[in-house]
Amino acid sequence: MVSTFHGLETAKRGMTAQQLALYTTGHNIANANTPGYTRQRVSFATAEPFPGAGLNRPQIPGQLGTGVQAGTIERIRESFLDVQYRSENTKLGYYSSLSSALAKMEDIMNEPSNSGLQNIMSQFWSSLQNMADHPENLGARQVVAAKGQMVAETFNYYYNSLDGIKKDLGSEMDVTVKDINTIVSQIDELNKQIASVEPHGMLPNDLYDKRDQLVDQLSSLVNVKVTAVKPTQYGQPLPTAVGLYQIELVQKDGTSFGTGAQLLTVDTTTGASQQNELSITAENGVKAPPLKGNVQSVQVGSVTLDNLNFSGKLKGLIESYGYIDANGKVKGYYPEMMEKLNKLAYAFASEFNHIHQQGYGLDKTDPAGEFFDLGGSTDYDETINYAQIIKVRDDIIKDPTNIAAANTPGDNSGDNEIAFELADLKSKDFSNYSVSLPDDMSGTFDFYYAAMIGELGVAAQSANTNKENVQVLVDSVEYNRKSVSGVSLDEELTNMITFQHAYNASARMITVIDEMLDKIINGMGVVGR
Amino acid sequence: MRVTQSMLSNNMLRNLSSNYNKMGKLQDQLTTQKRITRPSDDPVVAMLGLGYRDSLNKVQQYSRNISEATNWLDSTDDAISQGVKVLQRIRELTVQASNGTYEEAQRGAIAVEVDQLKEQLETIAQTQVGGKYIFNGENTNKAPTAGDFSDGDIELEIFDGIKLNVNTKGSELFKSVFNTLDSLKSKLEDKTASDTDISGFLDTLDSEIDHFLKIQADVGAKQNRVDMMKDRLSSQETIATEIMSKNEDVEIEKVITELITQESVQRAALSVGARIIQPSLIDFLR
Repeated sequence: MVSTFHGLETAKRGMTAQQLALYTTGHNIANANTPGYTRQRVSFATAEPFPGAGLNRPQIPGQLGTGVQAGTIERIRESFLDVQYRSENTKLGYYSSLSSALAKMEDIMNEPSNSGLQNIMSQFWSSLQNMADHPENLGARQVVAAKGQMVAETFNYYYNSLDGIKKDLGSEMDVTVKDINTIVSQIDELNKQIASVEPHGMLPNDLYDKRDQLVDQLSSLVNVKVTAVKPTQYGQPLPTAVGLYQIELVQKDGTSFGTGAQLLTVDTTTGASQQNELSITAENGVKAPPLKGNVQSVQVGSVTLDNLNFSGKLKGLIESYGYIDANGKVKGYYPEMMEKLNKLAYAFASEFNHIHQQGYGLDKTDPAGEFFDLGGSTDYDETINYAQIIKVRDDIIKDPTNIAAANTPGDNSGDNEIAFELADLKSKDFSNYSVSLPDDMSGTFDFYYAAMIGELGVAAQSANTNKENVQVLVDSVEYNRKSVSGVSLDEELTNMITFQHAYNASARMITVIDEMLDKIINGMGVVGR
Repeated sequence: MRVTQSMLSNNMLRNLSSNYNKMGKLQDQLTTQKRITRPSDDPVVAMLGLGYRDSLNKVQQYSRNISEATNWLDSTDDAISQGVKVLQRIRELTVQASNGTYEEAQRGAIAVEVDQLKEQLETIAQTQVGGKYIFNGENTNKAPTAGDFSDGDIELEIFDGIKLNVNTKGSELFKSVFNTLDSLKSKLEDKTASDTDISGFLDTLDSEIDHFLKIQADVGAKQNRVDMMKDRLSSQETIATEIMSKNEDVEIEKVITELITQESVQRAALSVGARIIQPSLIDFLR
């Protein structure tokens, strides 16, 4: 026999389950715009039917349903999309930081324009030509001195501005490293909170969301591999419980570093966690922060990574700021550009001086001195920042008759041979220079500089294009993620109505049973009364 | 595929901002009149642009050099013409003095005039252009004295690697003329000198005049060369400007058309967005 009150219990279960679903719908709607939120769903299942199989089971036609059972409240999320998103997001972080660093460099170099080095050099050339036309004219000489100063100052400006941005990039790197460590420690904290819920057979969905969002943020800074670990001593977690996140810094292609680089480890037995802080060592072994000098190596805890072959914003910053490569050479967009400026300033100024010293000032009998001051150094020394120290010598500025236009000593104010030779230097091939030049310089001043600008343009263009492309990929993965996990208000409202109706119907069931009982209790057995 | 409101609104926002981005680029192009504002916009255009600017600047500078060369040559030409006039006057005087009718006193007067004309020739030798003595070789700051000229060629660059010698050396032009005039003068003052003694100078004077004219012809040839170079440079300037403009300037009709297209796309996007985003099921539930 089925109990008289059986239907009441079934209807009550229906009401509680629908109510639970309705509240979850409310939670979804409330969080429709919460970043990182994953929509949740109550998994309904039918309750155990009555009666169970057995010899003493009541004789009724079959198993009678006993209503609904609300199982768990779950997140609707695909972890595969997370992996995709994070791998693209790392690239986006990398190209974004490269693109912004190179854009700043383009701003400084300011080519093509009327204030870039190319134009200043053209003006200097013109002033030398004018001096050749009027070698006896003090005004023309004054202009040469002034334009020479402009050339030197443009080199100074380029170098100092690049140096300034490089320092900013260094501070940004310090902040990024701090961010990485903070995010990892927040994830560790969330791991601990999750570890106190999961063993009790519950799903801390909102904590999961927060943790996944932190991993998303982390993925834009460095590439990481996330492994979920459910320790062996972990109570009774549900099969759908996610477990604790273990985070490893991995190489560009997703493989582990030879040395291993665990940012956060979780013990597989006890679930105890350990965070290893990321840190940077600059050249000469100086530990950051603050970062002083090009990046030598990156450490995770006590482990030094065997290479810098990772991705993310941090790598973009390292490549812009400068690092020491495997051969001990300084690489990176900023230091390389600064080195090229140094080479160019040294080559041009020292050859200019060399020609200048072969000439004679206006009506002078002694050979002229140097025009540019390079701090007195003779051979190219890569530790000297020529672009930063180059200037026009004081005796040239004070007395422009010291500028050599003439090829021969004495009274020959109209002699302009050296002036032309100085002007020609701009388009003279480096191989014809008399002074010894640093390695790997070819072409002329003009070509070398145009090539510098061309290379910068190509690097910046490719960073911009890659950034745009990766942005499209990130957007598309994010679109897919939203498609799975995002809250759709229409859907929630539909659910709301569905659950509301089901709730109302269950309540009506109770009324029906109430009427049935009323019939039994108050309406039966009154015959003859 | 399951599509939610936030996906639509995010998409719309992204598309709108990429539209704004494109419009911003077009606006930049319109206001600067340049296709590129930074090397990464088009590295090739940027690199070529540097070279084109340089060649334009060169052409402009060579034009300045050429006008300086013209100054030199025109002044030299003018000075030589005056010199020739002076010499011709001296020749006339010499003819007069040698025809046997002149008395001693008259010859003396002619000697004084010849001396004056010689001084005139010396002044011509000290011709200045823009403060430069053009007949004193490279020593342009000092005035040459009669018969004592400095040496040296002055060359100006009138095109890439092409140099033109613009000065006429006084020592060449006036090499023997002052001596000739001095001896002519002393002969005129010499009471014993015969008519033939004086008429003997006519040949020397003729050859001096010829010498002047020959050098003037040289200068004239150079003037022609400079004029031709000037024409060439002015057409080069036009070409260089045009190449530079083709390389980096915008086609304004094209940019405006693109901007208008982009504007209508933007309007359409906004109105579609307004339609899609606004209603949800809630609008239709009581």
